[in-house]
Amino acid sequence: MSHADEEEDGGHHLPAVEDWPRGFGEASWWPFVTAIGAAGIYLGAAMYVLSTGDSALVPLSYGLGTAVASIGLFLVGLYGWTYHAFIKAYWTSESTGVGLRMGMLAFLGSEIATFGAGFIYYFFVRADAWTDLPHLVESGNIFSSLVIVNTVILIISSVTLHYAHVALRDDDRRRFVGLLGLTLLLGVVFLGGQALEYYEFIAVEGFTIAEGAYGSAFYGLTGLHGLHVSLGAVLLGIVFVRSLFGQYTPEKHTSVTTVSMYWHFVDVVWIFLVVVLYVGAIISV
Amino acid sequence: MAGEQLALTVLMGVFLVGVVALLSRMEDLRTYTPLGSGSAGYGDETSHGHKPAGLIRWLTTVDHKDIGILYGVYATIAFVWGGMSVMLMRLELTTPAMDVLAGLGGNAFYNGLLTSHGITMLFLFGTPIIAAFANYFVPLLIGADDMAFPRINAIAFWLLPPAALLIWGGFFLAPLTGGAVEAAQTSWTMYTPLSAEQANAGVDLMLLGLHLSGVSATMGAINFVATIFTERSGKVNWANLDIFSWTILTQSALILFAFPLLGSALIMLLLDRNFATTFFAVEGGSPILWQHLFWFFGHPEVYILVLPPMGLVSWILPKFSGRKLFGYKFVIYSTLAIGVLSFGVWAHHMFSTGINPRIRASFMAVSLAIAIPSAVKTFNWITTMWNGKIRLTAPMLFCIGFVANFVIGGITGVFLAAIPIDLVLHDTYYVVGHFHWIVMGMIAFAGFGAIYYWFPLVTGKMYQKTLAKWHFWLSEIGVSITFFAFLLLGYLGMPRRYATYEFSGAIAPLTQITTLHQVATVGAFIILFGQIIWVWNMAQSYIEGPVVQDGDPWDLKETGQHSREFQWFEEELTADEDSLALTDGGESDDEIRADGGEVEAAVRRVDDE
Ligand code: HEM
Ligand SMILES: [Cu+2]
Repeated sequence: MSHADEEEDGGHHLPAVEDWPRGFGEASWWPFVTAIGAAGIYLGAAMYVLSTGDSALVPLSYGLGTAVASIGLFLVGLYGWTYHAFIKAYWTSESTGVGLRMGMLAFLGSEIATFGAGFIYYFFVRADAWTDLPHLVESGNIFSSLVIVNTVILIISSVTLHYAHVALRDDDRRRFVGLLGLTLLLGVVFLGGQALEYYEFIAVEGFTIAEGAYGSAFYGLTGLHGLHVSLGAVLLGIVFVRSLFGQYTPEKHTSVTTVSMYWHFVDVVWIFLVVVLYVGAIISV
Repeated sequence: MAGEQLALTVLMGVFLVGVVALLSRMEDLRTYTPLGSGSAGYGDETSHGHKPAGLIRWLTTVDHKDIGILYGVYATIAFVWGGMSVMLMRLELTTPAMDVLAGLGGNAFYNGLLTSHGITMLFLFGTPIIAAFANYFVPLLIGADDMAFPRINAIAFWLLPPAALLIWGGFFLAPLTGGAVEAAQTSWTMYTPLSAEQANAGVDLMLLGLHLSGVSATMGAINFVATIFTERSGKVNWANLDIFSWTILTQSALILFAFPLLGSALIMLLLDRNFATTFFAVEGGSPILWQHLFWFFGHPEVYILVLPPMGLVSWILPKFSGRKLFGYKFVIYSTLAIGVLSFGVWAHHMFSTGINPRIRASFMAVSLAIAIPSAVKTFNWITTMWNGKIRLTAPMLFCIGFVANFVIGGITGVFLAAIPIDLVLHDTYYVVGHFHWIVMGMIAFAGFGAIYYWFPLVTGKMYQKTLAKWHFWLSEIGVSITFFAFLLLGYLGMPRRYATYEFSGAIAPLTQITTLHQVATVGAFIILFGQIIWVWNMAQSYIEGPVVQDGDPWDLKETGQHSREFQWFEEELTADEDSLALTDGGESDDEIRADGGEVEAAVRRVDDE
């Protein structure tokens, strides 16, 4: 264990001191469980593919069942992992959180590439294959008041989150928790609006993902963004619950910071998305 | 067909049994004590180690060194799979007609092998073998306790075995489903429209598996960025950060932008295949969009694969030249330059697709420019050896081979980057020759060099030096024979990706082509033979090789190059000796005193129980 540089402040810090299995310092079942859960989701998708087509090899229910069970396992793993890594030792940990902030920054960098591919597709279509448009685009109805309201809601949620953070740093706990809860609520309302829009477009207007080049871009990008907002809402939910349990102080609030970074990022992507995908589709150049 | 499929099933069965046997062997690996972490716990818990015993230890570990070893084992299994598939292909290619594989599915099976070979070697061998070294050594080299996120590290690894099963899934399911699902036949580039229209569900499985492996690589990259930025010990700054960590940092940055983009493109392809979207359809984004997205990922990917091996060689080669790396700063600048430029050259893979000639010319310019930082490195390695006190150990031989192979691989690349030449040679064996000089001649070679260099440190044993030299010479000779033959085949116009080559004599000189194919196959067997020696040497030396007692097995102190990781090794060796005397297992008192946090942790745990 003498690998730590004795001259320096710290010795060797074991990463998993109080974890399951107990009594070891460098062992944890949670990563394994999480990974198996995540892989199971892919397996479920694979079985879904095998259940389609003329000669289904497995019944549809197998794929769906595997996916649902795996998502459950994944969430359990996620809970165990984050609980032991961050929450349990919250008050005793001396981490400054700089690594986590760096990690979030790197993750957001990778997200630019994730969204980038979809936007590049859209620009290709917008520039070169702008024919056969759905009537929603022809009429301009794609950019409805619902989108405007939803956009405003998401922007406000970024503002409330920012002031929640400010309140925490000013040690105004009540205000912090209140604004945090409001942010979460606004996020959920946004998702509801998104679902309503999908319902309108698919069920009422008959505009689906298979509806030509624009449909692919529309559902691909809004769907990807919606997944991100959902994840953001889960993260906000975790932070909210932790705040209810009395965690976070003006000095110790790394996950509030990282989740804020993520939420603002998703917000900015949405604004860009509205400008190019909704407005950009109906203005003619 | 039924008989052959049965045979294939049996073969798969044997392979799987082998894997299970390997896993159960791991039970014995409990005796494996990575130096430094096998000592007992603290406080009154002398009965506990830091890790459980047996298989569970490997499934639950969050120690970067263990995870590094897991990556290494995984990459080796993938290397064997990819190697076996290419040997079948080389056998088929000894004659122009379809014969060896005729009974196994003919062209379709060949195409499946081709796809599997490429994807396996790049995604399941190349990236993981680099991750193996990076996990084990970056924290040691920068003086960190562990990775910034040890648990994310473990998750990233455990996503890989299921990814491999999905990627290879078509092979396993073909015999079970009577051929309804087959191995994907898209080649590693997965060009649309072919990949969008092949009805075979094996393609979907492969795309899903690739996506999963990409998630793993991205998680790893985030972890390395955070580790190298925030976990360095006080004595390590940017100016004295070791060259290997620099290349891992650059590689991770490339991964952050390249892999997620591929991930999205893969999902788009899956949607096209299953939900009637038009991402890569003619009436939508067009098939050429796939090529743009794929190569925007694909070219950085080749540097993702080659920069860390360059770092390994820059790290190891000076140790056996008795001199410091010549121009340390310039090697780092050239690494960063390559990293940035690599995002601006992707269209050199698309010169013959009819893209705008002006754009094409600018891509040619940047591609030629990227040869400059590459050459800077080459000259730095040569100058490092110049007038040095060279010791031809196995790691050094592999480093020298690496430099030599890079000269050929790099210069053939410069030729291909010139549009007029590429228009003639595109999609011939010349291209295959070019990148094999690099992927086999450099990436694999650097990997072997590093494995030999660090073998004593990781296992505490010494490998058999003669066998290691045989491994090197067989590999170098085999690589030269096989891949020179490829370049010549390309000059003669042999197109890539064909299982047969019975063209009319008016198109190409068939006898010469046949001969060159046979030469290439002989070369491939020489390589294979070298690798068998390697696997044997590793296994045998690990089990019964001589125990290393010297913390400086390479005599690096003489030249003042006893670097951090070997200093750590030396401390571990002394600590182990001490621990024979100490009841608490080597945890010297002063260390506990120096480390308030750890004592506290121990106390807390005692309280909990
Ligand atoms: C000196 C720098 C290099 C230059 C100028 C260069 C140039 C090229 C060009 C122009 C092609 C396209 C040939 C064609 O398809 O017609 C190509 C193909 C390729 N190169 Fe390089 N290259 C360089 C270094 C590398 C390195 C370092 C690697 C690997 C680590 C690499 C891996 C590949 C691969 C895999 C392909 C083939 C892709 C495929 O079509 O399957 N190259 N290279
Ligand atoms: Cu390239």
